[in-house]
Amino acid sequence: MSKSAFLAAVLAALATSPALAHVTLETQQAPVGSTYKAVLRVPHGCKGAPTIKVRVRVPEGMIAVKPMPKAGWALDTVKGKYGKTYDYYGTPTAEGVTEVIWSGGKLLDEHYDEFVLRGYLTTDLKPETTLHVPVVQECEGGSVERWIEIPAEGKSADDYKFPAPGLKLTPKK
Amino acid sequence: MPGRWLQAMLRRLLVLLLLLGACAAATLRPGTALAHAALVTTTPADGAVLARPPAAFTLRFSEPVSPLVLRLIGPDGETRALERFALRDRELTIEVPTDLAAGSHVLSWRVVSEDGHPVGGSVLFSIGAPGARPPEASAQRNLPITLALWLGRVGLYLGLALSIGGVAFSAWVGPLPASARRPLRVLIVLGLAAVPFALAAQGLDALAAPASDVLRPEIWRAGIGSSFGHTAAIATLALLAGLVSLSLAGSAGRALALAALLGAGLALAASGHASAASPQWLMRPAVFLHGIAMAAWAGALLPLAQALRGGDGAATLARFSRRISFFLIILFASGAALAIVQVEQPGALLTSTYGLVLTAKLALVAVLLGLATFNRYRLTAPAREGAEPAKRRLRGVIGVEVAIVLAILATAALWRFTPPPRTLTIASATAVPASVHIHSEKAMAEISVRPGRPGPANVSVALLDGNFGPLTAKEVRLSLANRAAGIEAVERPALRQPDGNWLVEGLTIPVAGRWSVEIEILVSDFEMIRLGDTIEIKP
Repeated sequence: MSKSAFLAAVLAALATSPALAHVTLETQQAPVGSTYKAVLRVPHGCKGAPTIKVRVRVPEGMIAVKPMPKAGWALDTVKGKYGKTYDYYGTPTAEGVTEVIWSGGKLLDEHYDEFVLRGYLTTDLKPETTLHVPVVQECEGGSVERWIEIPAEGKSADDYKFPAPGLKLTPKK
Repeated sequence: MPGRWLQAMLRRLLVLLLLLGACAAATLRPGTALAHAALVTTTPADGAVLARPPAAFTLRFSEPVSPLVLRLIGPDGETRALERFALRDRELTIEVPTDLAAGSHVLSWRVVSEDGHPVGGSVLFSIGAPGARPPEASAQRNLPITLALWLGRVGLYLGLALSIGGVAFSAWVGPLPASARRPLRVLIVLGLAAVPFALAAQGLDALAAPASDVLRPEIWRAGIGSSFGHTAAIATLALLAGLVSLSLAGSAGRALALAALLGAGLALAASGHASAASPQWLMRPAVFLHGIAMAAWAGALLPLAQALRGGDGAATLARFSRRISFFLIILFASGAALAIVQVEQPGALLTSTYGLVLTAKLALVAVLLGLATFNRYRLTAPAREGAEPAKRRLRGVIGVEVAIVLAILATAALWRFTPPPRTLTIASATAVPASVHIHSEKAMAEISVRPGRPGPANVSVALLDGNFGPLTAKEVRLSLANRAAGIEAVERPALRQPDGNWLVEGLTIPVAGRWSVEIEILVSDFEMIRLGDTIEIKP
């Protein structure tokens, strides 16, 4: 094998697209006490059926969430009380968006799309832990894929069939 | 030049290391979720009941895959690898073996998707009707060996009852008539010959080997190693003691004859369904006493007939009819005890094979008893007074009695093949569910597989939260796998029952063993609890 073939193989290995099957976050690391832009990547439908609804549960500790509207999709939010009062740049904040729903669109199994929201990662979140963002993907024909499994202590997302997208928290900058 | 060669080698090595590092980085990169193929559809569909075997198995995946292991587990629990398949795009078509039996089959698949991540699952389908387990292995016994087993038993029982019982005549009735010694010797030799015959049949049956394997040492080891080995050893000793006692005169001969009779009882008590039953303190002595009384009664018939030919027949007959009642009481008392423990319910006398054998045997015993009564009250008195016609008729009736004894022993030997209702009850006790209780911080589940043995089964799931409070789930999914047996997970949604429990119906557990069971409990749209453990399915 020539050197260039070797290099091609190296590049191919490095270029393997990181997320193909699970719903995942594009940026998988962020400091607490900062605003985080969550880009949820939806790589396919449910067993071949097109995706028609994406629901995101806003995890506790992530506040002031603003979803990004998306052409062809209706955007709804569910507001509710947080588990506690958080400090948002000096403003005590006890309620806000707890769930974001994109619906009415149609994402074919063979297509790829991203769903975006922005939120503030409060300093109450512990650095060096993983924040999980459960996502429910609903498809035509009533099938549902729930990316909501949160790994138990000592396990990783790889141990689960439907791991929730995760975000590694780092110390405040 | 060596320097340039070395440089080239080092460069290649460096590239190789880079490549390895890149591969490692690609697999270890944190948070990467690679493409796992998901099963989209299958034919036959999971849980399908088909009239005839499918033309082909097809598995369609969400992404291209290549198969790692494809197995088919048949209704008899036999596993075979499916090696003939075609892969087209995302569809895997597998050739169906031509000889699929009726009943439930499991198609277990394990494939690797593009990212190198293996995924597996199982498709359950039935041909004809679900479940339908093939006949038990015991029903597939082969005929010559069954016959040999039965003949071996009959021969042994004959030896123990007629010959040892006959020898024992000298111990409790009176001196053996000289003309009875010869037939008794012949019977003892027959009994001795039956021992190795019965042992070989036992060994062949134990190893499910064909009759042609009879000379292989492991057959004999298996025969001797079973509890019947003890019976054979004790019976041989008893028969030899009986043979020697025939040549010994006086009290030594009588003592040895008595020892042979006790040996016959011990031999019968050493193996068999009845001896194995509990309570052991009752059953083994009961078999022992039943054997002794049976041998004493049956064995006395032949010498008695011979004695009636001779001069002192009257005195012998008188002693016999006085003392036989003692053995009859033992015979019936022990027999009743054995029957009660083994049959359990009177209805089983007609509904189970074991009960039918007992019923047949009891009917023969009743005839025998009728003849004996006729002898006792009609013929004994005139015969004792020396009336020749009465003696002749008595001898004739005794001949018929011996024939009936033969029939009784032949019938009793059938028990070798029929499990008593007692053990059937134990077998149906394994129909009680196999259960497992899984307890985690968030939830508890009581999972019961009913019945807890291979075949069609339902699985029920009772849920509680971590504090023993009610747990209301939106959905419950169950998966069962036995990877040791090569069976990937069978997954089914559970249905909520009116009582709040969850039920999965129409599953088939193809083989016994430790199955891993996992349930996914969807508590809310965004919260799932996964619980797993193993559950023991009894054979």
